[in-house]
Amino acid sequence: MDIEEIYDKIYRYVYFKLKNQSVAEDITQETFLKYISAKGSIHGYEIKYLYTIARNLCIDEFRRVKPDPLPEDFEGPVTDAHRTIEDRLAVREALKKLDPEDQELLLLRHVNGESVGTICTMLNISRFAVYRRIKNAEERLRSSLEGIKDGK
Amino acid sequence: MKLKVDRITKQYKNKIAVDRISFELTEGVTGLLGANGAGKTTLMRMMSGILTPTSGEITADGIPVNSEEYRAILGYLPQDFGYYPEFTAREFVQYIAALKGIEKKRARKKTEELLELVGLTESAGKKIKTFSGGMKQRVGIAQALVNDPKILILDEPTAGLDPKERVRFRNLIADISKDTVVLFSTHIVSDIEHIASNVLMMRDGQLIHEGEWNGKQGDLEEFYMEEFK
Amino acid sequence: MASDYKDLLNEAFSAPAPKGKDAFLKNIRPREVSLFAMIWQQAAYIRVTAWLLAALVVGVAIAGAVLKLESAQNAVTMLMPFTAAVAVIESNRSRRCGMSELETATRFSLRSVVLARMTLLGAAALIVLLIAAPVISAVTCEGAVFTAVRMVIPYLLTMSISLPIERSSLGRKTDLCSLAVASVVAFVIYYVSNFGGAAFTGYLQVIGRWGVLIALSLLALTAAQQWKTINKSEELA
Repeated sequence: MDIEEIYDKIYRYVYFKLKNQSVAEDITQETFLKYISAKGSIHGYEIKYLYTIARNLCIDEFRRVKPDPLPEDFEGPVTDAHRTIEDRLAVREALKKLDPEDQELLLLRHVNGESVGTICTMLNISRFAVYRRIKNAEERLRSSLEGIKDGK
Repeated sequence: MKLKVDRITKQYKNKIAVDRISFELTEGVTGLLGANGAGKTTLMRMMSGILTPTSGEITADGIPVNSEEYRAILGYLPQDFGYYPEFTAREFVQYIAALKGIEKKRARKKTEELLELVGLTESAGKKIKTFSGGMKQRVGIAQALVNDPKILILDEPTAGLDPKERVRFRNLIADISKDTVVLFSTHIVSDIEHIASNVLMMRDGQLIHEGEWNGKQGDLEEFYMEEFK
Repeated sequence: MASDYKDLLNEAFSAPAPKGKDAFLKNIRPREVSLFAMIWQQAAYIRVTAWLLAALVVGVAIAGAVLKLESAQNAVTMLMPFTAAVAVIESNRSRRCGMSELETATRFSLRSVVLARMTLLGAAALIVLLIAAPVISAVTCEGAVFTAVRMVIPYLLTMSISLPIERSSLGRKTDLCSLAVASVVAFVIYYVSNFGGAAFTGYLQVIGRWGVLIALSLLALTAAQQWKTINKSEELA
């Protein structure tokens, strides 16, 4: 995997956690530096360890700083013109209703495309537990989406 | 780029060669002055990842000195270096380029560029063992630059160069220093005068002066009178 | 089901463009050249002598088999110490030629260079063994394993003695120390096999029973010495 892709993934993950662009970049870079410090010589960057470091740094950051009362409100660029605005809004709404843990799993699995193995290492739980949690998150997203669509 | 040296110490059985030295360097040229035995070479070897410090840390933008990443952005020219006797100038630089992880085609191109820069294009195919001291030094400079380093550490780079070569060297350094951290050690005051914007002075393993070089020739000469009497 | 909405999820989770990405990544890119490619590159920098010697051993073995010379066994066994000495000399060339510091300050570093050379020369020795031992045993009608062990023991013995000598200041300035060790081992082989009488027969009996074990122990010892040489290569630079 390209190092640029890895950077993007870690950054996207950290941004999701901390919701602040400059802090997210600082943490992303600190993640890489910590990895280098620990590993010494590198032929390639192993993403599962980078995620683990990033996750811990985010936890430290939460403890350190009071949560920002006004988190950044960022809307990404439109990627598929075929989707209706309703769909787009519905997905965002549905996601907002989910627990952060569910959101995190959906990000890792479906946006960053990480394997179950990687997620296992990150969260330090069994493969089975990862499968189960992902399935549950997907289920909750689905019913949340249905709820929104029915509500219309 | 911030090159941070933090309380670096090197202690041998019966001697402290470098004693709790701290400083920070950024892009531009820094001259390192000191008598023989002051600890300059020991300090530079630690900054090049060749010697492990007894205590203290050296980092470049947070990247630790004993990592491959640090060496990837480093160019180092030791005071005395050897060469495999069969090497031509070209082969020598290409060999180092390979060890610096540069892919073959790019290494070849870069080697030619650098040999031209140091004025060795004509002698590129000749064996280094036929070279004069000054020519050998120029090959040394070429190999140090082959990976476009962000940190350049040169140990007595002007020793053995004739006045013309010394001027050429100074111009070269002045050019690269725009986006490279350059640290070089020397005995020659005029080297510092002409290209260093920052000066570090060492004595007995300690940093006794750190500051901008703003043309206060008097101070520098006084220092030399003290050190080299 | 979630995968149906993959693109929308992508949008929902997207982050603002990072600002310092390029500048940062420039500092930490992985190598363009893989470790394997680097080891292969180092092959070009090992002097011809080393390969010629390996070829000579194979040549003598094959010639001996074709001409049905029993002395081929001894000749080959006596050449092995020199093969080992040359391997040690080539591995240490950086230090002898004053290239250690320059190589240490590179991305791969001196250790990789020494490791690469040891690996290449070790592989060459193994190939030599795999060809010469069966070929010779065809002539002498002793087992291939037995023949291999007879060749390997002087090789490993020479190497495990030469490596620490090379690390000490004795070995620093001259190639001669390793060659001297090889000569002594070769001479001992020559003397014992021709004039050793009972000692020689005794040795062969011991090899016959315990040869593989002895070889493996020497292999472990040699490997430990090689490890030490690699690890200390930078200190001694």
